Amino acid sequence: MLSAANIKAQSSFELSGYWLPGNSSTTLLNSFESNPSSFSMLKDWGLTMLYGSDFSSSVTSNLYLISLSKRLGNNFITARYTPGYQKDFVFNNGQSIILHDSTTQSLDSKFSYKELFGLGFSHKFSDKFSAGFTVRYFTQDFNQESVYPIFSDTLYLVRESNDEKADFWRGDIGLNYSPSDFISLSLSTQNLLTANANAVDPQISQYELKSDKGVLAGVSISPSKYLGLNLLYETNRDWQIGFNNFFEAFNGNFGIGVTAFHDKYQSPYIAGIIPAITYSTKLFGISLSGVKYFSNRNIVHTFSGFQNTGIDNIINNRYSFDKAVLTLTFTLNTIPERSVEFLDVNILNEIFPILSDHYLDKPFAIAKVINLTSHVVNAKPSSKIEGLDNGKIESPVVTILPHDTAEVPFFTIIPSSYEKKKAGISYVDFYLSTTNQSPDDQSQKPILINGINAWDGKVVNLRYFIKKDYEYSMDYAKNVLSRYKSELDTMSYALSIFYKAKILFNNFVSNLVYAANPSAEADYVQFPHETMKLKGGNCDDLSVCYSSLLESVGIQTALVDYKPVNGIGHVNVLVNTQLSPEQARLITKNDSKYFIRKNEEGIDEIWIPVETTSLTNFGKAWDLGAQKFDDDALDNLGLAKGNVQIVDVY
Amino acid sequence: MKTIILFTMLTAGFVSAQNFTVKKTAGKVSAQIGTNENWTAISVNESLPVNSIIETGKNSSVQIDNGNINFILKGSSVLPLTDLKEMSLNDLILALAMEDMLNAPKKKQEANSKNTAVYGAQINGIKSPIVETNDFGVKRLNGAVQLAESGLKESAVVDAKDTYRKYPATKNIASFRIYFANILSGLGLNEDAYDEYKQIQSLKLTDSQKQEVQNKMDELAMKLLKK
Repeated sequence: MLSAANIKAQSSFELSGYWLPGNSSTTLLNSFESNPSSFSMLKDWGLTMLYGSDFSSSVTSNLYLISLSKRLGNNFITARYTPGYQKDFVFNNGQSIILHDSTTQSLDSKFSYKELFGLGFSHKFSDKFSAGFTVRYFTQDFNQESVYPIFSDTLYLVRESNDEKADFWRGDIGLNYSPSDFISLSLSTQNLLTANANAVDPQISQYELKSDKGVLAGVSISPSKYLGLNLLYETNRDWQIGFNNFFEAFNGNFGIGVTAFHDKYQSPYIAGIIPAITYSTKLFGISLSGVKYFSNRNIVHTFSGFQNTGIDNIINNRYSFDKAVLTLTFTLNTIPERSVEFLDVNILNEIFPILSDHYLDKPFAIAKVINLTSHVVNAKPSSKIEGLDNGKIESPVVTILPHDTAEVPFFTIIPSSYEKKKAGISYVDFYLSTTNQSPDDQSQKPILINGINAWDGKVVNLRYFIKKDYEYSMDYAKNVLSRYKSELDTMSYALSIFYKAKILFNNFVSNLVYAANPSAEADYVQFPHETMKLKGGNCDDLSVCYSSLLESVGIQTALVDYKPVNGIGHVNVLVNTQLSPEQARLITKNDSKYFIRKNEEGIDEIWIPVETTSLTNFGKAWDLGAQKFDDDALDNLGLAKGNVQIVDVY
Repeated sequence: MKTIILFTMLTAGFVSAQNFTVKKTAGKVSAQIGTNENWTAISVNESLPVNSIIETGKNSSVQIDNGNINFILKGSSVLPLTDLKEMSLNDLILALAMEDMLNAPKKKQEANSKNTAVYGAQINGIKSPIVETNDFGVKRLNGAVQLAESGLKESAVVDAKDTYRKYPATKNIASFRIYFANILSGLGLNEDAYDEYKQIQSLKLTDSQKQEVQNKMDELAMKLLKK
């Protein structure tokens, strides 16, 4: 009668030793054993092969493992084929038969344990936490020879082979948690889920791999970037301890490490060590490791010994031999290396399409960007506002020092054809590129796009409404002025601008009926053609319209921004008559009705204020404009105190 | 931001401001009220809004009062009543700064004057530039000088500066320029005064004026260096 053997699926033993989780990216992409959540720092594709030799009485070589790994965003998938994760036992069952030629033939029992393949999936929830699961498929083949007699005229002994298969699946989950660069913790199950196909023969079923449930806990401490101390403990009281040391050389990372392991089914207490040396670059990794047992492995074992102690690991047990293992890893990165990354994107303002070139030199958004590399990076920002831009709008390149952060402004261009009246929520795609065609990083933010008539309340930006309708204004103004051609042609050229301004104003107000209540339509400005069509508007609309009419025929204007007092502001128009101070008497005998501005050439010119909401005539509008300007801008020092501002329209 | 400014709102400020009352007149005295194009003769007890400008003819004068200020404008002078007020030094500094704000951007250095006329006379031992003239700009400077002499020096400078802008020929009258530059210097506005003297140097000056300007510039340069 055989007693139950302790045979289990392998746990945490790793042929290449136990390495810091963060440094296994180019050495071990396949590890389900020392990286239980199976997450990796791999950026895209990875291929790993483990090839090694057993130093038994003869040297036998195996392809232990081949695996393929792929990262999809924060998901990581691994599939591995493990032809070398196998252990075969052949026992003489103590019986033999004597053949008719007097030779004897022993009867054997063959047990074969294999892990054939495995699949792993994990998800990175944050830089600190990842979790995943692994599924592995094991096969077990049992073969026992026996003889049984057949009684007939002669007694026959028939040799019979009893074959059994007991394959099974094993599923486990694992967690990795790295609260800081200093420490990393891992936790995984052992045999959490198993799906068995038990052997029918009870004599055989006792040799199946057992599926005792357990837990595996690991801790890795990294006192520096180049040093790691690792401890792995299983609830069956097996453990491993090791250290890794890394240094940079030849454009890669060298690493040396050694892992000592304790297996309670092996002796001595420290059953063996796994020294390893690795070299890895961004493209490949190579690792040479060995398994050195401290007990003599080239001895004859007995079946009873196997029966009594069993094994708890297919590739590491008291029947395993010293090994040398070569690990090759290749990484294929079809995803461009990310050099810069968005930390945050801040939309500064909603979009006012009328402001057009305003956004060429004033950013609508500013991003905080980090340089992930150890060299200076030129970040090329670009953006696309859905519903506004037809393509990406590139903003100026920003140079960022290694591992430094910088504020990156985003500019845009409003198409001149944009005519939407209604506001709407859209979104902006922000891109950051470096040397690659494809972006290193991208981000999306919602943004409000106002209608074409929307105004941000800044008088300086009324100029956009003035310019937008130049074509209409020019046609209108020329049409009006053509009716006064004979008068204009005969008057002094110096006075022609003043009289053009007067004619246009008088015609302008003659077509208007009312001035609207401004509070009803705050932040909405009519284009000149709309004001003329609606026959009215508030001070913004009327000033924009009159200014546009004048500017369209080459008469220089400015807006006067009377800042809100008690919540009420005002805008009217200044007209440059281009008369010199000495010519003032040609238009007025009252020197409080004009003021002098130097032009760009330093020449004094007479400007006159015109109150556009005075729907009477030019003379009255000029009087009103002059009184307000003298009072608010000059006498009360409004210009100097910032209560009044002159905004030139050009 | 938007509002509508009605005529009544615009004029409300002027109605509520404290008017001047004409106390005495002598000779030809007239006023231009608000934005009115016409000048009208004024008489005793007449009320004048602060946005009025008063003008006196040769050998004429007018005395006006608003309860706070009692002022006599002598002959051949023009005075905007808005300038007949007490100003703080800070307000003067703001008003001087406003001159640049009025100009269009990219202002270039002002061209030197071509006018070579020299005005000015010595009155009571003090250099007073008041002149007998029909030139409106010069009359305004005469009025500004009288503001200064009555103690309203800050307002006088603002009035003079406005006159220079609107009547550029008056900028070439060295005696007025030196007079108001001296006021700036006396008020401690050394940098403004220095700039003013520097511009005055480019005018046609008498030897004594040259010496006076140079002395003032040296004195101010020392003060500015010690700053």
